[in-house]
Amino acid sequence: MPDYKAPLRDTRFLISDVFDFPGSYAAIGAHDATPDMVEAILEEGAKFCEQVLAPLNRSGDEEGCQFDNGVVTTPKGFKEAFAQYVEGGWNGLAADPTYGGQGLPHSLGLLISEMVGASNTSWGMYPGLTHGAMSAIHAHGSEAQKQTYLTALTEGRWTGTMCLTEPQCGTDLGIIKTRAVPQADGSYAISGTKIFISAGEHDLSENIVHLVLAKLPDAPAGTKGISLFIVPKFLPTATGEVGARNSLSCGSIEHKMGIKASATCVMNFDEATGFLIGEPNKGLNCMFTMMNHARLGTGMQGLCLGEVSYQGALRYANDRLQMRALTGAKAPDKVADPIIVHPDVRRMLLTMKALNEGNRALAYFTAQLIDQAHGAAEAEQRAEAEGLLALLTPICKAFMTESGLEVTNLGMQVYGGHGYIREWGMEQLVRDCRIALIYEGTNGIQALDLLGRKVLGSQGKLLRGFTKIVHKFCEAQGAHPQLAAQVAELATLNRQWGELTQRIGMAAMNNPDEVGAASVDYLMFSGYVILAYFWLRMAVVAQAQLDAGSGDAAFYQAKLATCAFYFKRVLPRTAAHLAAADAGSDCMMALPAAHFGV
Amino acid sequence: MADYKAPLRDMRFVLNEVFEVSKLWAQLPALAEVVDEDTASAILEEAGKVAAGSIAPLNRSGDEEGCSWHEGAVRTPAGFVEAYRTYAEGGWVGVGGDPEFGGMGMPKVIGAQVEELVNSANLSFGLYPMLTAGACLSILNHASEELKAQYLPNMYAGVWAGSMCLTEPHAGTDLGIIRTKAEPQADGSYKISGTKIFITGGEHDLTENIIHLVLAKLPDAPAGPKGISLFLVPKVMVNADGSLGERNALSCGSIEHKMGIKASATCVMNFDGATGWIVDAPNKGLAAMFTMMNYERLGVGIQGLALGERSYQSAVEYARERIQSRAPTGPQAKDKAADPIIVHPDVRRMLLTMKALNEGGRAFSSYVAMQLDTAKYSEDAATRKRADELVALLTPVAKAFLTDMALETTVHGQQIFGGHGFIREWGQEQLVRDCRITQIYEGTNGIQALDLVGRKVVGSGGAFYQHFADEIKAFTDSADASLAEFVNPLKDAIANLELMTSDLLERAKANPNEVGAASVEYLQVFGYTAYAYMWALMARTALAKQDQDDFYVSKLGTARFFFARLLPRIHSLTASVKAGSESLYLLDAAQF
Repeated sequence: MPDYKAPLRDTRFLISDVFDFPGSYAAIGAHDATPDMVEAILEEGAKFCEQVLAPLNRSGDEEGCQFDNGVVTTPKGFKEAFAQYVEGGWNGLAADPTYGGQGLPHSLGLLISEMVGASNTSWGMYPGLTHGAMSAIHAHGSEAQKQTYLTALTEGRWTGTMCLTEPQCGTDLGIIKTRAVPQADGSYAISGTKIFISAGEHDLSENIVHLVLAKLPDAPAGTKGISLFIVPKFLPTATGEVGARNSLSCGSIEHKMGIKASATCVMNFDEATGFLIGEPNKGLNCMFTMMNHARLGTGMQGLCLGEVSYQGALRYANDRLQMRALTGAKAPDKVADPIIVHPDVRRMLLTMKALNEGNRALAYFTAQLIDQAHGAAEAEQRAEAEGLLALLTPICKAFMTESGLEVTNLGMQVYGGHGYIREWGMEQLVRDCRIALIYEGTNGIQALDLLGRKVLGSQGKLLRGFTKIVHKFCEAQGAHPQLAAQVAELATLNRQWGELTQRIGMAAMNNPDEVGAASVDYLMFSGYVILAYFWLRMAVVAQAQLDAGSGDAAFYQAKLATCAFYFKRVLPRTAAHLAAADAGSDCMMALPAAHFGV
Repeated sequence: MADYKAPLRDMRFVLNEVFEVSKLWAQLPALAEVVDEDTASAILEEAGKVAAGSIAPLNRSGDEEGCSWHEGAVRTPAGFVEAYRTYAEGGWVGVGGDPEFGGMGMPKVIGAQVEELVNSANLSFGLYPMLTAGACLSILNHASEELKAQYLPNMYAGVWAGSMCLTEPHAGTDLGIIRTKAEPQADGSYKISGTKIFITGGEHDLTENIIHLVLAKLPDAPAGPKGISLFLVPKVMVNADGSLGERNALSCGSIEHKMGIKASATCVMNFDGATGWIVDAPNKGLAAMFTMMNYERLGVGIQGLALGERSYQSAVEYARERIQSRAPTGPQAKDKAADPIIVHPDVRRMLLTMKALNEGGRAFSSYVAMQLDTAKYSEDAATRKRADELVALLTPVAKAFLTDMALETTVHGQQIFGGHGFIREWGQEQLVRDCRITQIYEGTNGIQALDLVGRKVVGSGGAFYQHFADEIKAFTDSADASLAEFVNPLKDAIANLELMTSDLLERAKANPNEVGAASVEYLQVFGYTAYAYMWALMARTALAKQDQDDFYVSKLGTARFFFARLLPRIHSLTASVKAGSESLYLLDAAQF
């Protein structure tokens, strides 16, 4: 297994030099998050993830979760690690202090999740789902619900889940069948079957709080007739302790390609007692509150696994001796040269590095927007951050996970045959990454959300919110002594992005299929342009640091070199996505279903 | 997972209608004797039955059960022994084998279809006969008459299996540094000692004997790849009368736990003074290996295609049955709670990408197989030479491009299933895991790309490339105007490849790193261009027959999708190739 080292050098570069987290923390009134405090938290978090979680990653994959008569046992060490995590205060780091949290900024919570996800993706699912449930209850729960549930979740005594999917519906939640029948005491009897419920049952916590989508008896059809309920595994007593067992159970767990140590459960609700959260029939809205956060978190999985894969591949490429460099022996005292001398191995490593570091910048920028959307002083600033978040969230989710799959596959390829062997750990990263392209809304759904709902749905306004930023950056840096050519390239792509959007918008007015025909390529095009922008922002800072003679010149030179690689070798992918997004729907819709053969 | 259906209609289309393969067979006396359109059709139908009926049902269970190792013995999953017997008794192991030693003598283009069928049904299973066939090829072409007579009949018959022992712990790509030793003995045999890893089919319970072909170094061998010899080392010694004797001094030390192909035994093999016989001349081992390399590499490409086909079949069935959300243009299945997901443009994009890549891959691999047959059987030296050079050029493309496209295809096939795609029970994720090895073994795809650019394109001064380009240009020049929508983008693509190739030939003179810097993307541009040629050929046939049958309408629609949505990828790849090696060497190793 590749050892994981939290990439703190890169994190510091982004939060201090590129995005000015300290300034932004001061502006949102997060006075506890001083640079010293942040540094201490990052270092402690890194230690916990590297020393406690990472060693359980391979063993967790091999052992998997066990199901026995409704009871789920997590792999060895998981329970103890969770207890340590809770004791360390990590679970409530970014949670509301009113309910026992530490009230640190959301972005800081995301930096910690990055390390958690990288060291052990399966394990990270349990606190990840808990955080999702916490934000939904925080935003929509009654005060009493918050006191009871949010406090226990924040303290890590209880964990949470999100119960959405049913056998007949995943993407299309409008057709769920789970029912909620009002009871005399104001509670509801919930009945139905939910599938693919991550952390639906396990042995890490004394209670599990399920957030369940269900329909009231008189609910309108479709997505406007869905309500959200809190359905705890054990009903809380009046004092908030664990009380009677509720009538729900885990029917089985799935056997999956990856994230094997994360329990993916079939959950049966058999007139279980539930409590309405938020308004009746507004359940999907409640869910969407936490969606931005969860989708960024899923996007982050691509980055996390990509980072571990890169660390492993880099070590192997320096150690493995095989063939001589084409330009002559580089390690003449050895039987062969380390494979990092070979151009194609470098191409793979640099592609990994360029995508990882570019995605990290995108993720941190987006995390900062979450802080601002919650905490900026002015309503206008909050709205601006919300707008950018709405645009960037589906891109973070889909682009970062698509990159993650490419990166983990490249990492495996660098290992040759050893990459295919479980013992080396590289193939697990591919398997664990693969789900991130599917859950939290498949990447195809993210692309529809981006192009249909966000960009065209706002008549281009949300897109302009970002292209304007890029435009201003390009104007400001247009005469940059070293980077002007790349700035000009970005400006051109930024313009093409707007023009492409207009063309699709026009075509979609006549034919709604045009949106779905272009959406995935549109999203990928957008992602590569956005990464180009972040690469240049990083390059401008790196160049300035070099010019100023700051220490660590090698780090800044590497940033500039990776930026150059990104522009030369990765960014040209935009051309193919542009052509495909422009190709229109005719060639996709012409064949009747029967002509697909078989 | 949908039941596997052999894609015989498409195979017949490619062989009989697009390539009119019987015309080629008629010109090659050795083949004219054994095969015609009807025989071929009957063979494929029969192979399809065995694949779908006996082998496909063991695919999921084989993955779950895997192979098990106990004190040197390897047990294959339940049902494998029986299925292998059925397969061997049908003569399928020796389908391409020399009739003089009991093979069926079928051309590679038929063997290629059989490989697709078997590997679609169960790649883990398909590896055992494939390795045997590969070993047979080396023996047939390089071993003494005595060894051939002693080993080939039982191997073709599937009574004995074969393995290829190349890789060692420290030597995979770089075989020049292997350590396994061969000591000459007084009786003309050799004592082989060393450890080999990643040996597919190195040990198992399917056959009574396993014939290992082992690369090793003689005591006085020169360093590097020119000092490697090939040896035949049987698991059980064979007596003069052909009966089995004592166990040879070799054993399986362990098997690997892998991402996929779990029912294929990947073995560590320990040779401890094992008795072997030299195949071909001393120090000519790599050359003897290369004989079968073209066949094997094409075979690995076909493995990718096979998995892509299987994934597509299940994905289409699922997309027609799974109802979820309404079509953007309004409900299509009003009586149901939602529409089948095949109405959604993005699901169609994934399905059509799969279909276009699979069918393009089937045509291309069949085309390469026909070149192999021409190179082997033609009686005209110039024809043989041209075919040989085309094989040399196209083999790395077939291996790497088909498997790269297969990973994309199987990932799409998994994505169409949504969450169910991640669950083992549904079978789609296994295809991704099984597929992933095809990009690695038989020379990683990076090595294939170096082979294409360095050895084949640059190495021949562009001459091999010119055969292919000339053929495509002859086609585009003579194509009917009604084909313009396909021929025009093909012309652009070949012009693009031409420019890229001459540019690369020029740059490689100045800096050898340019080859490795460009190679993977160059191979991909080559692959898309080759598929464009295949799709234009298929469109020509389909256009003429579109009134006869929906099959041809579907072909044309898929051809249009390929040209509109997939071929444009070459522009990005070309830009990347043009960028050269400079940006790869701005960092020193420590700065990564």
